[in-house]
Amino acid sequence: MGGNRSTLPAAPAKPASPAREMLRHFLRHPAGMAGFLILLAVALASLAGPGLYGVDPADMAAAPFEPPGPEVPLGADYLGRDVLAGLLIGGRASLSVGLAAALISVLIGVAVGALAGWFGGWVDRVLMKVTEFFQVLPSLLFAMVLVTLFGASLGIITFAIGVVSWPGVARLTRAEYLRVRGLDYVRAAVAGGGRPHYLILRVVLPNALPPIIVAAALAIGVAILFEGGLSFLGLGDPNVISWGMMLGQNRTYLLDAWWAVTFPGAAIFFTVLAVSLLGEGLNDAINPRLRKRG
Amino acid sequence: MSGTTIPPLALSVEHLGVTLAGRDGPLPVLEDVSFGVPAGRTLALIGESGCGKSMAALALMGLLPEGLRCDTGAIRLLGEDLAVAPPARLRALRGSTLSMIFQEPMTALNPVFTVGEQIAETLRLHQGLDAAAARAGALEMLRKVEIPAAAQRLDAYPHQLSGGMRQRVMIAIALACRPRLLIADEPTTALDVTVQAQIFDLLKTLQRETGTAILLISHDLHAVADIADEVAVLYAGTCVETGPASRVLAAPEHPYTRALLACSPRLRLGAAAAGPAPDLLEVPGMVPPLGQRGPGCRFAPRCELAGADCNHPPPLRPAGAGRAAACWRVGDTTLEAVA
Ligand SMILES: Nc1ncnc2c1ncn2[C@@H]1O[C@H](COP(=O)(O)OP(=O)(O)OP(=O)(O)O)[C@@H](O)[C@H]1O
Ligand SMILES: [Mg+2]
Repeated sequence: MGGNRSTLPAAPAKPASPAREMLRHFLRHPAGMAGFLILLAVALASLAGPGLYGVDPADMAAAPFEPPGPEVPLGADYLGRDVLAGLLIGGRASLSVGLAAALISVLIGVAVGALAGWFGGWVDRVLMKVTEFFQVLPSLLFAMVLVTLFGASLGIITFAIGVVSWPGVARLTRAEYLRVRGLDYVRAAVAGGGRPHYLILRVVLPNALPPIIVAAALAIGVAILFEGGLSFLGLGDPNVISWGMMLGQNRTYLLDAWWAVTFPGAAIFFTVLAVSLLGEGLNDAINPRLRKRG
Repeated sequence: MSGTTIPPLALSVEHLGVTLAGRDGPLPVLEDVSFGVPAGRTLALIGESGCGKSMAALALMGLLPEGLRCDTGAIRLLGEDLAVAPPARLRALRGSTLSMIFQEPMTALNPVFTVGEQIAETLRLHQGLDAAAARAGALEMLRKVEIPAAAQRLDAYPHQLSGGMRQRVMIAIALACRPRLLIADEPTTALDVTVQAQIFDLLKTLQRETGTAILLISHDLHAVADIADEVAVLYAGTCVETGPASRVLAAPEHPYTRALLACSPRLRLGAAAAGPAPDLLEVPGMVPPLGQRGPGCRFAPRCELAGADCNHPPPLRPAGAGRAAACWRVGDTTLEAVA
């Protein structure tokens, strides 16, 4: 049952699946693990933190610009709201928008890239034109237009971020499909009578997935930054506290209350850093295996 | 090996023509290629590199690369013309009635699935078996291709197997649905010599068991002499000679076949033994590239016997005893010999 450490070349005892091998590599990657642990801490803090800390982040309980002290550990903002309470609850918006928007962009990107790369020809030309269109669109402006048109709710913001950030994933997926499509085992699967949907989803996708996973991890970071940017500009959901919103509302008081700006900024910075460390760890865990398989 | 009665043809290729779309119109890749594989027997397709063997195989599978198309002739598999079959029909036949193994066992298996899953997949796809039955079938196939410790290998990933074992797995996948025709395009080229012999032996054994006809493409004329019943010789996209393997290899009719056999020094049988110098390992000259084939006999520029009449392309004509050759000289000599 348990993983057998000794790997005798001839013994067919316990074959290690490629996915398990990757996991093993990742667990040994310091930067990747650091990123993973930071993200885990952020996630736990924003899930359990507000309940444990017990302070209403919207409550103007402290004096405005109250510096960090025993009453308010990270100080209070210009309205006297507890910065730590805001930080804890704000992680929810940032992380959930980041994850959901990255998921949307990966789903659209993989679907578009897979179809373009697999079928080629006119399908590829049409889909790549659409992709180019979205790629040259100034994405922040486009997202702002979407949010202005449809209203600044968390759902719309997530959707807007997802819709503007898929072209990179689509191009990457297309390139992978073009590469994998020509490989012998895909030709063998075609010669075995596989239908297109089977070939696209079961034969090619698992082999095209590694770089897409890395891109997905990075997309989470980009989406968190994006949400921060929108909130900073006052286009966030007004009913939901997020790190970007805290930054935006307090930015004019930077000299009076550095803590009200610095801590949300640092939260965004470390979370995005953690996501890119995670991406780097995944990348390193996945790529040596691909090279070895040749 | 071949009995006195020749069984009906599993595959018959008639006047097959394949062209490559070029800037100045279609370029012929295969022209007027005809051969037949009797049920349960092996036909070897031989010829120099680039003469179109793989393209012929891919045309049969309906898997020609982009830009190439099959535009004349018929490909009859058990009487059904594949050249005009709709794509859905071809897809249903591929992997079940008609299957193929490739040259490179190292790369022809999907690295992310176990070999058991890959064999089972074929059974599920074509025979609609459920997961448990497909797994049992996969195990049975692994035993049939003589993989030691088959039950454990079922859960092995391709990178954990040697080249020879991977090719055995490929054969297991190809034969899982008991195809009527197996196309093997240089199945042993990537393997070392002892393993090559084992794979050929395995193919022979399985053929006897399943009655599958085999279309074998190989440069290894010893193996061809050993396991093929019939031979078809391709040169520059045309079929220059066909016939029973033992006779064609022992007494080639076409000058190209003679030159080709002369290149295989250890295979100096019959007439080939009296051929050119033993150190000659290559037919002199080169296969004409696509688009630079002359109007007459394709082999004429390299042929010692070429004359003025070779400016007209010779058709594949019967040359006695189930044989045929496309050479103006062959008719003469056979007639003389018979007379
Ligand atoms: N994808 C392709 N597109 C266009 N032409 C091709 C393609 N593949 C092969 N050809 C051409 O088709 C001709 C026949 O090639 P083929 O691969 O069938 O040769 P072969 O007899 O299998 O050679 P080998 O013994 O080296 O495998 C060659 O002239 C080759 O250049
Ligand atoms: Mg070939």
